Amino acid sequence: MKTTGARSLIVYVFSVAFAAGLLFFLGEYMINGGQWAVQPFNKHISQGTALTGKVLDRNGEVLAYSTEEGRFYHEDPSVRKAMLHSVGDTAGYISTSVQYSYRAELAGYNLFTGLGTPLGDRTAGNVTLTLDADLCKTAYEAMAGRKGAVLVCDYTTGEILCMVSTPSFDPQNPPEDLFTDETGKYEGVYLNNALSGTYTPGSIFKLVTTTAAIENIPDLDSRTFTCQGSQLINGNPITCTQVHGTQSFQDALGNSCNIAFGELAVELGNDTMMNTARSLGFGSSLSISGISTAKSHYDVEGASPDELAWSGIGQFTDQVNPAHMLSLMCAVASQGTSVEPSFVKSVSGGLGLNLPGMASKGNSYMSASTANRLQEYMRSNVRDYYGESWFPGLEVCAKTGTGEVGEGKQPTGWVVGFSSRADLPLAFAVVVEEGGYGSQSAVPVAGAVMQQAAALYK
Amino acid sequence: MDGKAWLDAGLFFLRILLPVLTVGVAVGCFHSMKAGRRREEPVMVLEDMVSKKRIPVLYWENSIGRSKSCDVVVADMTASRDHAVLMRRESGWIVKDTESKSGTRVNGKKVDPEGKAVLPGDVITVGSTSLMLKRTTEAPMRVPKQRRLHAASPFSLMMWVTVIQVLLLLQACFSSGAFSLLPVLPFVGLLVLEWGLYVYSIHHLNRVSFELETLGFLLSGISVLLLSGMRTKPQEGQALPDMLALVDGSMKETYVQLAAVFLGILLFCFLIWFMNDLDRVMRWRLGIAVGAILLFLANLVLAKESNGARNWISLGFISIQPSEFIKIAFVFVGASTLDRLQTARNLSGFIFFSAACMIFLFLMRDFGTACIFFVTFLVIAFMRSGSIRTIFLALAAAGLGAFLILQFRPYVLSRFEGWRHVWEYVNESQGYQQVRVLSYSASGGLFGLGIGNGKLGGGTSGNPVFAADSDLVFGMLCEELGLIMAVCCVCLLAALAVYARSESTKSRSTFYSICSCAAASMLLFQACLNVFGSTDVLPLTGVTLPFISAGGSSMAAVWGMLAFLKAADERTYAARRSKAKAPARKGGYGR
Repeated sequence: MKTTGARSLIVYVFSVAFAAGLLFFLGEYMINGGQWAVQPFNKHISQGTALTGKVLDRNGEVLAYSTEEGRFYHEDPSVRKAMLHSVGDTAGYISTSVQYSYRAELAGYNLFTGLGTPLGDRTAGNVTLTLDADLCKTAYEAMAGRKGAVLVCDYTTGEILCMVSTPSFDPQNPPEDLFTDETGKYEGVYLNNALSGTYTPGSIFKLVTTTAAIENIPDLDSRTFTCQGSQLINGNPITCTQVHGTQSFQDALGNSCNIAFGELAVELGNDTMMNTARSLGFGSSLSISGISTAKSHYDVEGASPDELAWSGIGQFTDQVNPAHMLSLMCAVASQGTSVEPSFVKSVSGGLGLNLPGMASKGNSYMSASTANRLQEYMRSNVRDYYGESWFPGLEVCAKTGTGEVGEGKQPTGWVVGFSSRADLPLAFAVVVEEGGYGSQSAVPVAGAVMQQAAALYK
Repeated sequence: MDGKAWLDAGLFFLRILLPVLTVGVAVGCFHSMKAGRRREEPVMVLEDMVSKKRIPVLYWENSIGRSKSCDVVVADMTASRDHAVLMRRESGWIVKDTESKSGTRVNGKKVDPEGKAVLPGDVITVGSTSLMLKRTTEAPMRVPKQRRLHAASPFSLMMWVTVIQVLLLLQACFSSGAFSLLPVLPFVGLLVLEWGLYVYSIHHLNRVSFELETLGFLLSGISVLLLSGMRTKPQEGQALPDMLALVDGSMKETYVQLAAVFLGILLFCFLIWFMNDLDRVMRWRLGIAVGAILLFLANLVLAKESNGARNWISLGFISIQPSEFIKIAFVFVGASTLDRLQTARNLSGFIFFSAACMIFLFLMRDFGTACIFFVTFLVIAFMRSGSIRTIFLALAAAGLGAFLILQFRPYVLSRFEGWRHVWEYVNESQGYQQVRVLSYSASGGLFGLGIGNGKLGGGTSGNPVFAADSDLVFGMLCEELGLIMAVCCVCLLAALAVYARSESTKSRSTFYSICSCAAASMLLFQACLNVFGSTDVLPLTGVTLPFISAGGSSMAAVWGMLAFLKAADERTYAARRSKAKAPARKGGYGR
């Protein structure tokens, strides 16, 4: 009998296995319950009215709400299109939008009562964004039908004031040819280019090469660079937009001289360039209000000198993500460390609790001295080379870029930068697909948005 | 708030109360079983004739021998390692020689293999050691004092179960916002069954314990009333039942479930009666084994395939699932009394029988049940042999079998394709059921949406997800009664397993111990497969949740399983004896 008693301990094996399985399930339930509940097939939430909470902009402007008849969006069609990728569509195709990522809260799900409504109506949560609807509208209209992305954020708080991705559509009245169109005008329409897109950077990548140069070449400012419009490296020509002659480093950056930066990249070498890019956040994604951004790409492992030269001027296989560029600009503007940008200000839970947006942690990209020197160069770019006309009185530091994409397409236009005015802590990143020169495509968009944003800080 | 809102709030409050009461009843029952358990004190005493040393006899079946693992250890080189067994049967104490080298004597006379009855004062000789059997009153031994536990009365526990069922009835009557009296009839049926069995066993059979039955009724009641919120889909043009109607065809499944509880109780009572006489059980074991095989054969020949498995026999108006009842036979065939454990160490008969069962189950393509049989085999094999080697060999054989099946029947693997990837198969068969279980479980929150308000079970609209009330019933529990209540229900089954183990040295025979541990493990493992299968922790195998799932055969067989746990409770068979010949054993626990 004694031995039988001892052997009966085998029963505990099952009890332990059961307990482990149950804890595993309960853990998953706690973490994923909201996502499980808010599914299109769930009959507790009929199609279209699954989300009952509101989405608001930073000023309390209602961007999306529900009635008995369904989901409704802002009254202004331009605002609807400008906010599409931040707010989301009714069908839930835009997975980086708040209507998707906060669908449990917007549907009134909570852990305690599930989708149940024991005490009257379901109390759905509201999501308040950090975005400014008017600013987004301005940006959307400035894009004028071109594809791309516009981002503006406050670099002291990380709050994104403007995030627009084009192409877009009106979520209230989705166009009939949304799925059938073959001209490509809706290509990538469900993608938020600002968070999920990557583009050839062109000359804005020279800021990365500049960072590497500042940190590795002590006599950078006393050097001169000679540009004759073209230069053979490893037997292959590196070409420049014009003949810049002999220039200082500041001139070379202001002129955006390919020869100078190609040579610098070769001089710095594959490893240094790779390491600098890595420390500036290439190859890793940011978490912006819980949404992972696409990774910027820089890889010159085993690249030949001419390829390395092209990579240093933002060509070769270089790809950058607009939100990452925004984050870098924030860092340059604030001593080398960027507050993680976010676009969700607060979420009121189903039980009336006010949850803060995702906690932001800083990204330390570079030393304060490096950041300050970059800032001086970039300020000089605008003051001495581009001209202040697009940013009157804003004391903007910036770098433009024109990324060649080949395939007979116009290049990608870029501008990234920030205002150095202490009372106007705004950073921006604008990219225009097939826009041509950045100074002619992206800069006017950035100018329009920054001027309107400046008015908010008066 | 209007009237409807007040009603909803009230029902929600009652659903918060439900798990509280359920836990209360469960704690009361397990506490009462602990309080009713015999304390660690000797039932008889053996006194060494030479040294006058007293050896306590602690169990109802005791091995005597030289081995340290024996219950009564004799330090005597002339005794065999496992020499004899001293055991209590209805007729009194019996000594059986278990193939010892030198034989066992009682009062100098050699004991034949059938055993010899011994009375207090008789001298049992093993090897060269002589032990006199004495009552504990004649040879008092110092035993540690233990605190007597105060326990709730069986009546009060049953009353609380009834209260829980009233709360469930209220939930069911107000389901889908429309009042209906249809759940009242199943509720009354439940009351008749549970109080009928209560009166029969407490007042007619004079049993003192009713805890296991109470737990069984608690779970069965949840099952019946949960199902009473479901209706079959009304036919085209068929009028909905009147608000005050008491009987309706759309409640058929609930009525079947109630009938299954009744059959289960009959089976429960029969098995307890049957197991009272262990000699009878041992005589019938071969017959039971042959019967089980024949039933499997009949199943294979007669059954029609449904949903990939051939495990149903249709008898015209009703269909049964023979494998559910074969589970009971399996436990019978596997378990054994201590004297037989000592003499017949060979497991080959049982292994052969188990292998045959497995082959049949694979032919029937009922892989879930095959897993359950296999696990039960492991428990029984280990409890009989204590050999880790046997377990490893069995596991290796099972692994090889699984490998061969996947080699020759690769499509079996496709059944597991969706496992841990169910969200990739939201509308395909590999994940359809699981994602709905997860989604609707989460929809219910901690306290559920109320009986009949679930979308998994379809409620009164009669549009359930396939197998919602059987394979996926855990999801229904979560959605309608809440996560806490669902977890309570499955934890009750786990608690039964822990209870069965704690009872294993107290029962009147190793037969009962092995049976109850095997049955409890089987129930728990089946619950694991059901709960974790439907929630995508494990692959979905399609087995029922004991006591909860709809299904007549399953419900009836589970009550049969409960009989094994009941038989292991030593109080179960004490009452009969005390009634038959009251003063037979003063020192023991006749009651």
